[in-house]
Amino acid sequence: MTSSPASGAVRTGKPARTAPAAHPFVRYAVRRVITSILLVIGVTLVTFVLTNLVPGDPVAAALGQRAAEDPTIVAHFRAEYGLDKPLVLQYFTYLGNLVHGNLGVSTTTHNPVASDLAKALPATLEIAIGAIVLSVIIGVVLGTVAAYRRGKVSDHVLRVVSLAGLSVPTFWLALVLYYVFYFKLHIAPGSGRLSSDFNTPHTVTGLYTIDALLAGQLDTFFDALSHLFLPVLVLTLYTVGLLTRFVRTAVLEILDQDYVRAARAKGLPTRTVVWSYVLRGASIPVLTVVGLAFGSLLSGTVLVESIFSWPGIGSYAYQAASHLDLPGVMGVGLLIGVMYLLVNLIVDLLYGILDPRVRIA
Amino acid sequence: MVYRSAKTRIAIGSAVVALALVVTGCSSGKTTGSNSAAKTITIDKAFDLKTADPGRMYEPTGELVDKALYETLLTFKGGDVSKVVPGLATLTQSADAKTFTLTLTGTHKFSDGSAITADDVVFSLDRVIGVKGNPSFLLDGVTVTKQDAKTVVLTTKTATPALPAILANPALGILNSKVVKAHGGTTTDKDAAEKYLNTHSAGSGPYILSSLNLASQVVLTANKNYDGSDKPTYTRVVIQNVEGPTQKINVQGGSADVALDLSGTQATGLSGSVNVTSDPSANVIFLLLNQNPKISKITSNPSFVKAVKEAIDYSDLVSIAGKGTSQAPGVVPSMFLGALGASDALKTDATAAKADLAKSGYKGQSVTLNFPSDITLNGIEFPTIAQRIQSQLKAVGITINLAPAPVATELDAYRNGTENIGLWYWGPDYPDPSDYLVFTPGNVVGLRAGWSATADAGISSLAAAATVGGTDTERAAQFEALQKALNTSGPFIPLLQPGNNIAAKSTVTGVVYNSVWTIDIAALGKK
Repeated sequence: MTSSPASGAVRTGKPARTAPAAHPFVRYAVRRVITSILLVIGVTLVTFVLTNLVPGDPVAAALGQRAAEDPTIVAHFRAEYGLDKPLVLQYFTYLGNLVHGNLGVSTTTHNPVASDLAKALPATLEIAIGAIVLSVIIGVVLGTVAAYRRGKVSDHVLRVVSLAGLSVPTFWLALVLYYVFYFKLHIAPGSGRLSSDFNTPHTVTGLYTIDALLAGQLDTFFDALSHLFLPVLVLTLYTVGLLTRFVRTAVLEILDQDYVRAARAKGLPTRTVVWSYVLRGASIPVLTVVGLAFGSLLSGTVLVESIFSWPGIGSYAYQAASHLDLPGVMGVGLLIGVMYLLVNLIVDLLYGILDPRVRIA
Repeated sequence: MVYRSAKTRIAIGSAVVALALVVTGCSSGKTTGSNSAAKTITIDKAFDLKTADPGRMYEPTGELVDKALYETLLTFKGGDVSKVVPGLATLTQSADAKTFTLTLTGTHKFSDGSAITADDVVFSLDRVIGVKGNPSFLLDGVTVTKQDAKTVVLTTKTATPALPAILANPALGILNSKVVKAHGGTTTDKDAAEKYLNTHSAGSGPYILSSLNLASQVVLTANKNYDGSDKPTYTRVVIQNVEGPTQKINVQGGSADVALDLSGTQATGLSGSVNVTSDPSANVIFLLLNQNPKISKITSNPSFVKAVKEAIDYSDLVSIAGKGTSQAPGVVPSMFLGALGASDALKTDATAAKADLAKSGYKGQSVTLNFPSDITLNGIEFPTIAQRIQSQLKAVGITINLAPAPVATELDAYRNGTENIGLWYWGPDYPDPSDYLVFTPGNVVGLRAGWSATADAGISSLAAAATVGGTDTERAAQFEALQKALNTSGPFIPLLQPGNNIAAKSTVTGVVYNSVWTIDIAALGKK
């Protein structure tokens, strides 16, 4: 997450017209963006190679048992999806198409992969954003409390709770919570993003809650919101466990710092010490974990999506992988890679904002 | 602090204004008013949906959807797939099963109100052949000719007694040719109508397509111009993609009216406000032992094959499979013409198995059993069955090495005939015993078991006799004889015919399992 040393001044021996030096943060941001673009190209290569190394024939997986025996149909299928071309040519064709935003056509859905992902991503984003926001709020509070009450009963309880959140398998938790909250207590709706007697709101963002509000459909908004409850809860319980532990550790390290002791000695109110000194100091490692956790939420919700019939990226990835849908698998791999890079880029840029030493290093 | 307060006030004010705008302009996102809301039915199905285009569709979810959207020339009544009945047309068939004359009844209309003509029939069937999609093989070798405005003749070079049953498949649903052509439809592989047919339907079925999302749900609404006998009770149908465990909770909790993919274990114990319909599915799980000595010397040994058949404890396998599952007496499922009775099924005999094993010269070497590790068929998990077979064979002294792999990768080895022992299943392409001729020497599944065309002259001659056809009684006798011979000397071991369990709220009527399209949605009623 650090960058290379900034270039020094140009020594030409004579006065030269010099462009006004860019702000250190801008230089830092540009470097991070360029690195990210190079990494994206690397991701395409890795995704392509790995996908094509998988044993098995996509034709066998995509066509029915009889159709796969018919040479005419098989030849037509290979030609339609470009599988009859050499691998290297396939890669460069893929890269060329990628520049135009074309991720190929899914052999499973017969739709452009980009269009499939555009439909699936908002579904995942809706639960991932909800989960990360709640997790950060709860995790920071619990982690800070645990650190401040180090060694006391409340600290031990919080550590056990966070460990439980990390240890319980999410698919099991999802099934249990669904059974309890939906079937037994009737306080959560059934699976899916909307109840079956609601029409899907007109797509603007793909986030049903936002689209329902934009369409002025309050009943749809509340229905969509209620469907978010359980998936977000399950993902939050896991992520809170992770964040609580990291925040506790980070805060404990900061609490021993001289500047925090000095702040306390000056008699500053605890609230000021916590917000302005401790949490700001702990923010860098916490931010790293938040970034990783968000990336993980975007890419690793397969089982939760399966239990709650949530048509997001996880479900799409599973479907593509189980059908050896190479364009679909590559599309998901690339999307997840790009999302991780994007999240890391944002985290890096936030480092620069939070800690000036990073941007001038 | 003053600045922060001002910001807060601005934020609160903006939120109030936004909320006020939303509330004043708000409308309902619900589909129906309270009176007609009762006419929506929600069906949970684990999707394998790829398209709603009949010319390209060949998956169970697609069959379910297209059965509701399109009518076929011939059809089946309820769950009885052994007898074809008229659909859009009546059938006259030549004695040699090579000429099939279909005469439109003239009583049905497309959903746009236009009449169904012979041109629509010719276009629809030619399109299935021409687009080279998954269902194209259904009409292999079939020539479609218009005789007059109401009559179409289908001819084949060889006897095709299965054709009437094939014509009942929703993949051969009749399309409104004018509409489809207007949206890129052709009878060649240049056809571009799939996109349109995934957003609209162009048929004469009891429902029309309202929306389709391959990953989440399909919404159908009643076709006002439908003229068929089973007018739908429900005006709106929501088929949603839900996995088995969640389906059970949904139907118990009331958010789904029908759950189509419950395993035997999940179906057990459901009662009260939920009814369960358990029927044998048309799938058959079987073992194959490779007869190619180059692949495996031991599995190609007839005495070894016999020993394995005798060593398997079939009732034990049935017991772990759960509700509705039975032993498969032959490769043809029980609801099809020519199926064997339970008394003809293979029987366990450990003593005989040990004797045959000794005769085979087996020296205790490890034999590999390949199977798809990620297949769950009607709730039966293949790894569980494979492990049980391994322990059963160990009891008579056969060492089995389990080799699981994801189906997408294992399919290659299966189709290339390189597995020593394979655990697979066969789902019917159409409900006729001739679909099972693939299990004979030199045919598709026979070759996967390394069984060449000249490997067993006796079985080949029985298969040749069954291909010719005849009356239903004659055909039934031919296929029974063929399967008995397969059980005696073939390389296949029919294991299980899994149960199909459908759970529905007790207020839902008309839930009848059909092995081709699972259920006829239009036949569902309300108490």
